[in-house]
Amino acid sequence: MIGLSIHFLLSVIALLLVLFFIFVLYLFFQRERENHFLTARETYIKNYSQCWYEYLFNDEIFSVVLVPRGRAQVEAIEIIFSSYLKNIINENVRQKIKEFSNVYLIKFYAQDLRSKRWSIRMNALYRISELHIDELLEACKKLERTNISETEYFQLLKIYSSFQPDLFIEKIKVPNASYSESEYRRLFVLLEEDVFIRFFDEFDRWPANIQYAVIDTAAAKKNMKYIDRLKQLLTHDVTEIKIRALKGLFEIGVIDDIEPFVPFVTSDFWEARLMVGKIFKHVPLTYTYSYLELLLQDENWWVRSQAAKTIAEDREGLAKLQQFIASSSDQYGIEMAQEIVARKQGNR
Amino acid sequence: MKIVDYSMWFFGGVILFYMLFVIASYCMMFVIALFDLRKRYSLDPSEYDDAHIDAFYSKPVSLLVPAYNEEVGVVDTVYSLLNLRYPQTEIIIINDGSTDNTLQTVIEHFQMKPVNKIVHTNIQTKQVIQIYESEIYMNCILVDKENGGKADALNVGINVSQYPYFCSIDGDSILDEKSLLRVMKPIILSDGEVIAAGGNIRIANGAKMQFGSIYETQLSRNYLVIMQVIEYLRAFLMGRIALSKFNLVLIISGAFSVFSKKWAIEAGGYSTDIIGEDMELVVHIHRLIKEKKENKRIEFVPDPVCWTEAPQTLGVLRNQRRRWHQGMFESLWKHKKMTLNPKYGLIGMISFPYFWFVECLGPIIELGGYIYIIVAFFLGDIYYEAAILLLLLFVIYGVIFSVASVLFEAWSMNTYPRKRELLRMILLAFTEIFWYRPLTLMWRCEGVVRFMRRKSDWGNMKRVGIAKKEKSV
Repeated sequence: MIGLSIHFLLSVIALLLVLFFIFVLYLFFQRERENHFLTARETYIKNYSQCWYEYLFNDEIFSVVLVPRGRAQVEAIEIIFSSYLKNIINENVRQKIKEFSNVYLIKFYAQDLRSKRWSIRMNALYRISELHIDELLEACKKLERTNISETEYFQLLKIYSSFQPDLFIEKIKVPNASYSESEYRRLFVLLEEDVFIRFFDEFDRWPANIQYAVIDTAAAKKNMKYIDRLKQLLTHDVTEIKIRALKGLFEIGVIDDIEPFVPFVTSDFWEARLMVGKIFKHVPLTYTYSYLELLLQDENWWVRSQAAKTIAEDREGLAKLQQFIASSSDQYGIEMAQEIVARKQGNR
Repeated sequence: MKIVDYSMWFFGGVILFYMLFVIASYCMMFVIALFDLRKRYSLDPSEYDDAHIDAFYSKPVSLLVPAYNEEVGVVDTVYSLLNLRYPQTEIIIINDGSTDNTLQTVIEHFQMKPVNKIVHTNIQTKQVIQIYESEIYMNCILVDKENGGKADALNVGINVSQYPYFCSIDGDSILDEKSLLRVMKPIILSDGEVIAAGGNIRIANGAKMQFGSIYETQLSRNYLVIMQVIEYLRAFLMGRIALSKFNLVLIISGAFSVFSKKWAIEAGGYSTDIIGEDMELVVHIHRLIKEKKENKRIEFVPDPVCWTEAPQTLGVLRNQRRRWHQGMFESLWKHKKMTLNPKYGLIGMISFPYFWFVECLGPIIELGGYIYIIVAFFLGDIYYEAAILLLLLFVIYGVIFSVASVLFEAWSMNTYPRKRELLRMILLAFTEIFWYRPLTLMWRCEGVVRFMRRKSDWGNMKRVGIAKKEKSV
């Protein structure tokens, strides 16, 4: 029995060693191939990046030498385009990149979309979205009908959101997959204003993470058109929505009336009180000091700290804090005020 | 003679079944890791990185750097944190009563200025002596405190931190510029369902570095370091990835891990009476998740890279390994009631038994295996064959898995791109069972003994600095 096992194990080890040897040879071969690929890519970038610059920025005539021949050159073009798209906002350049991609890169990505490998399909979806290859919209819809992963579906939603917003809203209403708030934000941030505002119209029908993402995106867009929509949410039944709306209003930073915020000074939730403390940064201290003084004596450390910081930001703030230190009997509030005063004076 | 026969059969059987069990578990985990990495092979990660570089999509993180006598490495570590591509961070260096020039080095290098700051005491710690803020980097804070150990230093960092997540980084580690962005990915994408995440640790010895950035990876010439490189790859492929897939991870390295502050505080912060405080915190949080019946996860993320300095001498390595093992024992022992307790789900039913049997008691059984082979050779006869059988299992366990890890890593991640380096690692992997494995087994057994005798120390290893030239062992 033992003899047999030894024999068996020896055979397994020998077989594995042979497989490893073959794998090492394959790795070496693959590395050589990768090196060739990288060299071809770098050569293209070196030879043609100037031509690309002239074509995209100086309106030089398009040259056929720029048309990619093979994958390495496609990757080189992706690198060149990506660097421009990430760093330069120029509609003309974007349009040229889009036109070129829709003519010369389309066949490569169409082929990638049909790949059996998930990672290849994902890369193609990234590029379609980044380079705005709307000619591939139909191919994307075809891909959606196959058995795709949640991450692929997310990329498809992203593509729909920029190529066909109505389809995007239609898709998002059907809960095929649930994404995180941060992912929904990534989808919403690309939407045009008139499409995005529709999410407020039907606010209560969305699941919580979409609602949160809508509020946060409105805040990030810093568009004054959303102020009224956010103010309406201050009376919502869900506390989290109220707090997020407060945060959104703070981030937009335009406060014309403090009345809607006053009830939150005595809110049961410290997060709401904290946000009011922040919002009052955008209002002169004469209107808010009595509320901030209350918040400075709050039971929560973060609220006290924020109230002291908000007071200190005003021109009269230091004097007000010193006055508070002298007159108050609230030890925690005094300590906080002292820290902020010391900091402020230290920074001078 | 009969007693010898019976005991040889008994121990032979135990060791044999142990080896078969471990080989089977490793094979399973290796296959899971293989599929996982294979799926992601050639996926372009930059799309995610670029999308999440904006604060709008991410969450702010406090970076905690506990430092005890880290004057050689701490500056580079802080530079690597300043180089991080992440929208909102604060760096908190905690000097744990160093006896060298750590405090002075940091103060001078980053122009630290004392400030008055009220610290919100969420966790009880040793006294904070002074807090400083950098005049050149707005988000960089130095906390000088009384010596209380690494766990205490981290707890001070948690108290001082202002963001909802914190990331602990060893004072001798270097982070890749995108590592924080990627380690935060599961946390951000899960809307807080993932409450802690650990990154992949790599060995930096031999790498070329300037101002906190690794600009060229190079395999060390020191054989002891190369063996550790292989060992890290093995642990990564035959453990972490598979365990993480099923929320069974009990260890995320303290050298680079992110935690939700709320959960860490609820767990009482890092345990100061235990050596392996990073593991203990993970186990404790797992315990809380199950006791509160919450749907939360702890994940290991394969790509974030944190470069750390590995011991270059046998003495330092011995010290490190026995500490790690002792720490693991202590953590499991402290939460022993979770073992095989269905109340704790898969953690209690799979992770705990696995860690007790394979990771904790493994070295004792394996070392027993080595002794068995030697004794069996002397006894001859039938035992001679049993010894060969065991030896072959050791070869599979030690050599085959190591070579497979090296090759698979080379194929999927290609950290060491030179052919010569790859061959060097493969050749050295073949020698593992003859010297490195028995040595680490002995040190880990020492850890068991130390656990039983309740010995402890800070266990800081002597740094030479990652960028320094090393000597070959």
